[in-house]
This record gives sequence, structure tokens and C-alpha cells, in this order.
Amino acid sequence: MKQLIWILWPSFVVAGLAEVVFFTLIDPQELYLFGEPVRISRTATYSIGFFGFWLVCAASSLFTVFIQHTPEDSKH
Amino acid sequence: MNKAKSQPGSQAGTEAVIEQSLYEAHKKIYIRSVTGVFATWRWALVWFTQLLYYGLCWLPWNGRQAVLFDLVERKFYIFGLIFWPQDIFYLAVLLIVSAYALFLFTAVGGRLFCGYACPQTVYSEIFMWIEKMIEGDRNARIKLDQQAMNLHKFSRKFAKHLAWLLFALWTGFTFVGYFTPIKTLAGEVMKLALGPWEIFWLLFYGFATYGNAGYMREQVCKYMCPYARFQSVMFDPDTLIVTYDEGRGEPRGARPKKLDYKSAGKGDCIDCGICVQVCPTGIDIRQGLQYECIGCSACIDGCDTVMDKMGYPRGLIRYSTEHAMQKKWQRKEILAHLIRPRIMIYGLLLVAIVGAAGYGIATRTPLKVDVIRDRNSLSREDESGMVENSFGLKIMNVSEVDRTYVISISGMDRISILHQPSFRIEVPAMKTETVSLEVYAPPESGAPGSNRIYFDVKAVNDERIAVHEKASFIMPQNAGH
Repeated sequence: MKQLIWILWPSFVVAGLAEVVFFTLIDPQELYLFGEPVRISRTATYSIGFFGFWLVCAASSLFTVFIQHTPEDSKH
Repeated sequence: MNKAKSQPGSQAGTEAVIEQSLYEAHKKIYIRSVTGVFATWRWALVWFTQLLYYGLCWLPWNGRQAVLFDLVERKFYIFGLIFWPQDIFYLAVLLIVSAYALFLFTAVGGRLFCGYACPQTVYSEIFMWIEKMIEGDRNARIKLDQQAMNLHKFSRKFAKHLAWLLFALWTGFTFVGYFTPIKTLAGEVMKLALGPWEIFWLLFYGFATYGNAGYMREQVCKYMCPYARFQSVMFDPDTLIVTYDEGRGEPRGARPKKLDYKSAGKGDCIDCGICVQVCPTGIDIRQGLQYECIGCSACIDGCDTVMDKMGYPRGLIRYSTEHAMQKKWQRKEILAHLIRPRIMIYGLLLVAIVGAAGYGIATRTPLKVDVIRDRNSLSREDESGMVENSFGLKIMNVSEVDRTYVISISGMDRISILHQPSFRIEVPAMKTETVSLEVYAPPESGAPGSNRIYFDVKAVNDERIAVHEKASFIMPQNAGH
């Protein structure tokens, strides 16, 4: 549980920041997805974008937690 | 993973309840409610911040919602002010101002934000009030939790969670109401016609409130809050913090009220444990400053009540500073040390930044112009021998009034837009119009390569609304030959 929160919580905070900066600078309607303009609503793009950021940040946190765990730890 | 184990009868009944915790085995804290000066302050701030939060989104202004962060239209409305994505600079300023304000308040009075204004504190306070109304105060709740499940316990718990959930959902609804017009949203709720993402964010924020204020409470402050971890660097020996007067309190101990405790060698602390029971993070302030202390002063209120009952002077636990405790300063000396270089620098910076940003907002032009060169052709010559460059002008009318603008061009001899001296365009309120303009200049008017030119966009009827935007006119190498 502790590790799960280490992964999900900091990534949530950073994803929030990334979301604000990214979508302030870039209008979702100007994005292209597989060569096609994004047709879904802005609200949907913002929401999906947030979860995308969260996922990426969580992956980074997951990696951090993983490499923090040294073989010595498992001996205890 | 930490699995909490129950410790049957290991400690006196009240402390035996251990709940499955998110971080570590932790004792469920039964916070005793408290009244007093600081509790009153906290409730005043709960009312203030929450009336603002729940009320502001319903306030109309110019026929629209006064405060609306319209994500779909990409415009933020704050009363008369409207911010476009181009105004991100002011967002940065807002963050800087918030940071300096936090530094200033922390240097002066420790974790004032945590104790009185942080949403985590405010919602926990509200949720604890609901809990107290339904389940009773500390002792009643401990008794209730120790009972086996019965109808009485079930109905109390059910009512509590229902009240928490309703409050949390209303909070989530209000949150979404700052991003989509709340009156439309309310209509959609009535007709059960909310969009999928609106439902999602309403529930997301609602459950976050429920979880944080109902269950996580002090654990958010202790384990999740980054500010809690670095706030100590903003402290100095003159910072006001919640302090237990050890010299006066020790040696602590129970005693009959009538006893001349001083001749019996005892201090003022009667070791009643109230300061621990009222603490939302469950610490004992008598052990000195700890990072878990959110500076809520509940222990001050609790202790003062006991001191009054005992007929002892108040302030065994009080706001004081490290220096004041060491040097036995009185109130006057503590206040005199409030004004010190650190505070003055933070204060001056704050005033300067707020002043500059305020001036910037007050004097900004309600018109924005972006000049975009046509990327497909740099320049070409027409039949009459004039050189032509194409530009796209994005004209954003950032005011709530329809306007007509005159576009003119300068910087080169006999330069013109479509062979005319100027060009007119109407832009409705809060809209953006993009025009493509062909700009002509005779070959002899500029050097080959890039020539600096200026677009002037001026509102008809209002001279002050004008933008002077530079661009470059490309003159080919062999123009006119």
C-alpha cells in the first residue's frame, strides 16, 4: 500500500502541473492524432490528457520504487 | 505492505483500536472537539473559505458566471477580468505570489496555512463536525466503535457516511461548476443529463473529499504533503510556534485542586492529556516541536480551558518563539522581533510583485494581435512589379464589447495592404478573427532580405486600444529586375 501511494501520489501532483502547463500552451483542437485532427471535445481531451500524464509520471515513479529496492532489502 | 495488526487489550481500552492504515500501523485518532479563541478563528476561516467556495460560482456578472474557468472556451473569467491562454504570465505571477505569501506567513507564525486555511484542515473540520453531530464526541465515538455491530451502531454509521457522501458530492459538483457554467450543470443534474466527463470529475473530486476528510485526515499532512516536509527551512528562532512552557509545566502530574502544588514541587501541567486528545495529528506537544504539528492551536485552547478550571494562569501552551523561551521574553519583545530582515524582504517582494502585476492587469490593452507569416511563399512579384508578402493576422478582441479595428502598416516607403492605406475588420466581443493580408511594397523601398515592418491595429472610437506589432517583410534578391 505504501509503495502504491509512493507511485500514484507524486505522479498525480506532477501530472496536474504538466496538464496545466501543456494545455495552457497548446489548444487541444490544434492537436493531431495519427495524422488526423483531434475531433473529440476539449473536455474529453483534457481528461484523457490528464490520465496520460498521470500514467507516464506513475511509470517513472514505479521505476524509482523498483530501483530503490536493492537485493539487500529482500534479505530483511 | 504494512498490514496493521490489532493489539487486543494491549493498552488501556481507548487506544486499542488500530485501523488498517494507508502507510503504517497507526492508532485511530479520536479527536476531542475543542472550543476557544483559536477554534473560533479556525471556524471563522472555515466559514469564510467555504462560503467563498460554494457561493462564488453562483454569482452572476455581466450576464455570465462571475468566476468561471471555462476550459472548453479556453477563457478564465474572474469578475471583470478575462484571461486568455496568452495570459499565462499572470498564472506564473500568481504562483510566485502564493509562494512568497506562504514563506512570509510561515516565517511569522509557523504553519498558519495548515492550521487554518488548508482545504485538508477545513474539510476535516467539517467532516469531524458532522461526525460529532451524529456519533457524539470523543468518548461516545470510542464506545460506539468498541461495540459489536447492532442496529444503533449501524444507523449512526450509516447516517454519518450518508451525510459525508452528500456533502462530498456537493463539493464535487461545486468543483465542476467552476469549469462548466454551474447553472447549466445544475439543470443537467436535475434532468440526469450530465456529460460523461462531468459525472466522472464530479465523482472523482467528491470521493477525494470523502476519502481525505473522512479517512486520511492527518495522514495526508504527515505523509503526503510536501509542504510539511520542507516548512522547517522557513522557520527561524523568532518564528511564532505552538510551544509548551516546559519550565512552567514540569514536573507534571495529577494533583487535588486545592493543593499548594508549588510547595509540593510540582509544575503547572496536571497531565490531564487533553492537549493530546484534541490534537488532529495525535502528537504530544509537550515533547517539543514536531514535524507532525500543523499549528492548529487546538492544544492551546484545550489547555487554556483546563488552566481556567484549575484557576492557574493561561498560556502553559501558547504561541511563542524559540528565542522567547530561551530568553524569557514577554509579549512585547516577541512582537518587536516580528520585524526582522527576513520578514521585511518577503513583505517588500510581495508588495512589489502584487503591485506590478496589479498595474499590468489594470493597464493592459483589451486587444491581442498575432502576426503569422504565410509559410508557403516568402514573397512574390505581381504584374506591376510590386513585391508581395502574405501575412495572417489573428485579432483577439479580449473585451466584452464588439469592436471594429483599423489595421495599418508602416516601416517601409509606400508599403500598403492590398494597395490600400488601411484595412478594417469587425471582431465581436470575446472572439478571435483571422485575416489574411497581402502586403505590397515597391522593390526599391527595402534591402534584399528581411525588412522590419509594423502592423498597427487600432480600435475605432477608442484610441487607447491599440497594438503595435512588428513583422518582417522579405524582399527577394533580384526584385525589380
